[in-house]
Amino acid sequence: MDFAPVLDGFGVVLEPTNLLYCLIGVVIGMLIGVLPGLGPAATIAILLPVTFGIEPVTAIIMLAGIFYGAQYGGTITSVLLKLPGEASSVVTVFDGHAMARQGRAGSALGIAAVGSFIGGTVSIIALTLVAPLVAGFALDFGPPEYTALALLGILLVSTVSSGGRLKALIAACVGLLLATVGRDSFTGAERFTFDNLSLADGLDFVPIAMGLFGLGEILYNLEERHRAVQAPTAVANVWPSRRDLREASGAIGRGSVLGFVLGILPGGGATLSSLAAYALEKRRSKNPERFGKGAIEGVAAPETANNAAATSSFIPLLTLGIPANATMAVIFGALLIQGVSPGPQLVSQEPELFWGVVNSMYIGNILLLIMSIPLVGLFVKILRVRATILAPITVLITLVGVYTVNNDVFDIVLVIVFGALGYLMKKSGFDPGPLVLAFVLGSLLEDSLRRSLLIFDGDATGFFTRPISGTLLVVFLLVALLPPIRAALRHRRAVPDPDTASHDTTKELV
Amino acid sequence: MSINRVRRWATAGAGFALALSLAACGGNVGAGSSDEAKFPGKSPITILVGQDPGGSTDLIARALAEQVSGDLGVPVTVENKPGANGALAAKELAGEKADGHTLMVYNGSLAYITPLAVAPGQAPDIANYEIVTGISQDDYVLVTAPKSGFKTVDDLAKAGRQITFGTTGVGTGSQLSQELLFAQADIDAKAVPFDGGSPTLTAVLGGQVDVGSIQLGEAIEQIKAGKLTPIVTFAEKRPSYLPDTPTAVEAGHDVPVQQSRAIFAPKGTPKEVIDALRASFQKAFQADAYQKFNEDNQLTPNEVDGEELRKQWTGNLDKYRGVIQKYSINLGGAK
Repeated sequence: MDFAPVLDGFGVVLEPTNLLYCLIGVVIGMLIGVLPGLGPAATIAILLPVTFGIEPVTAIIMLAGIFYGAQYGGTITSVLLKLPGEASSVVTVFDGHAMARQGRAGSALGIAAVGSFIGGTVSIIALTLVAPLVAGFALDFGPPEYTALALLGILLVSTVSSGGRLKALIAACVGLLLATVGRDSFTGAERFTFDNLSLADGLDFVPIAMGLFGLGEILYNLEERHRAVQAPTAVANVWPSRRDLREASGAIGRGSVLGFVLGILPGGGATLSSLAAYALEKRRSKNPERFGKGAIEGVAAPETANNAAATSSFIPLLTLGIPANATMAVIFGALLIQGVSPGPQLVSQEPELFWGVVNSMYIGNILLLIMSIPLVGLFVKILRVRATILAPITVLITLVGVYTVNNDVFDIVLVIVFGALGYLMKKSGFDPGPLVLAFVLGSLLEDSLRRSLLIFDGDATGFFTRPISGTLLVVFLLVALLPPIRAALRHRRAVPDPDTASHDTTKELV
Repeated sequence: MSINRVRRWATAGAGFALALSLAACGGNVGAGSSDEAKFPGKSPITILVGQDPGGSTDLIARALAEQVSGDLGVPVTVENKPGANGALAAKELAGEKADGHTLMVYNGSLAYITPLAVAPGQAPDIANYEIVTGISQDDYVLVTAPKSGFKTVDDLAKAGRQITFGTTGVGTGSQLSQELLFAQADIDAKAVPFDGGSPTLTAVLGGQVDVGSIQLGEAIEQIKAGKLTPIVTFAEKRPSYLPDTPTAVEAGHDVPVQQSRAIFAPKGTPKEVIDALRASFQKAFQADAYQKFNEDNQLTPNEVDGEELRKQWTGNLDKYRGVIQKYSINLGGAK
């Protein structure tokens, strides 16, 4: 492997502007991580217009910083207030808050910060080694391979999304449908444009993401009762002790690996890997009854894993152009705004961007470690900002921001429409994630499918004659067919023996 | 929270909104008053680009904007309104005030190829615009991956199977050039449209399609590196950047297809404004930095005046309409 571009990447990161934006990114990430409600996908979506005027590499360094920064921040409120700032820190509540009640809040936060740092760093190193390997196959990825990848991506995201598989599939189908709006690039025919010039080129990704994630989430959160948060003023001794580190070291190691692997898979990402890491530690432990009562592994494992996953989920995006989760879909949009199309060519065509972003994560993680340990008290104070102040400001920024991307009032209307849709979806238990992801992948799927069929002369069996697309489609079929088959089998077993069946499901939940 | 604090925030918000709207009005007032003064006055000039940032059209617009801004002494900004091969930007330009403060870099393919591919009335008509000046031409080159073994048009004809060819999109010069070549050479071939030059290039490099027609500036690096074999160019005469590759005309096929670009203004822009703009662009064309830019991007200058350009493009449209009827080529699906 040629390390020259990797080293050049450090040169890019160390430019003062990039360092500054890296710092801005991780600080914003920490802040929104602490604040319950606004997640990284929403924040990045809202900030998309800001990135318009800056260099691509700088923009993505900042947005990436928000994403992994949020994983650090989410821990703080989980531990101190039993209030997870991010979905990926939900399991941290069990043992983290128990530790806080025992007066060991400092240790919990400290070990989470150290674990996050190690998990993140291990993942960056692995990313550095794996990404160029994947990119080596770049030219073998033709239309059939992209068709299979897009199909697999949409399916995986729908199957693991929160809020039920059927609802996720419905949301994904709506996303695919929205992607068909606009001029058909193969025939020039206009579809669903209603003779509206603004629709002629299809719906833009930015207003959809800003509406569904940004505005929708703000509206939804407004409904929650605003309890007055009693933030603890001081947290004593955040440096984890030698004993803490020794006890947690195994959990951190396993969390790093697990998080890295689950992060790569489409639909994986931070939330799933933190749940899986917690479950793994609990199952491995000699005395699992300690979990939920302040076991340090119960904090270290999920916090390490969510950071490792946050980093590794950049792999499918930067090497294949396939976003693995909703946040990555938004970063995908940010790259497109900058005129950079992520894909197998990225490593060789834009080495500065690729390695600049990857290497900025080292710096970002160091900054976060510094902020998490001595400055933790400062971030806790953020919780005193009321939603009544925050929400109107955010809405204003969103609406002004989306206008600046294309200077088009139509986009403001779109944000409001999709904001309302996002709110209704959340209220009725639909996760907007699959919709956005399917929308992003929809045109890739359609164009690649039609291109493939042109190349194959209309013969669909061609997909299975190529090694990469064939393998991907077999995986697709397995993922699609396995759950219904398993459910059917379980159903049959459940008739004679209902006890085992219910036992199985509970085990799967944690 | 005390009521006082709420009020303070509300006031601040209202103040902010007020400041914004004032700023917006200020801009309009400035534009209004400058109309009476000599062009360009003090208000800025916007150049619309119907393509994404970073593409060749965008780069050309930015290279020119920098020079013209220095000459006229007002800011000249490039605004990307990508979509429908520039038709979106063209429709927007048509609706702008004809005062010379909104211009557009108009692609020749939109004027003389797109109308042949889409339903009547969907492509803008260049008769509805004023033309400030021509800019430059970009040549298309037919390339293949070395491992395909194809070196000449004859090799393609002897392949004994259907050839797949990548195009940079429906209604582009890339598509037209290849459709014409294969029809005249009697080669059985099928078009696979991609989304722009770079994806087409990747598909040819990876052997996903047999050949592809790409703008010279986009393919030259790979040709020099030996990763792509040039078969023919679609220029009228061999471009100086690729002296050893025959043109399609030399190979016996009458298919000169070039991308051409020009500066357009809304219909009814006063003649003295057009003249002032043209003079300024002429100065820009002479600048060393701009000439080096042309060389770096393999662009052939075509700095003719508006009338000459209109003749070129209208001629192209008629000629292409004739040949595609003769060979019954169907560029688009929707008619």
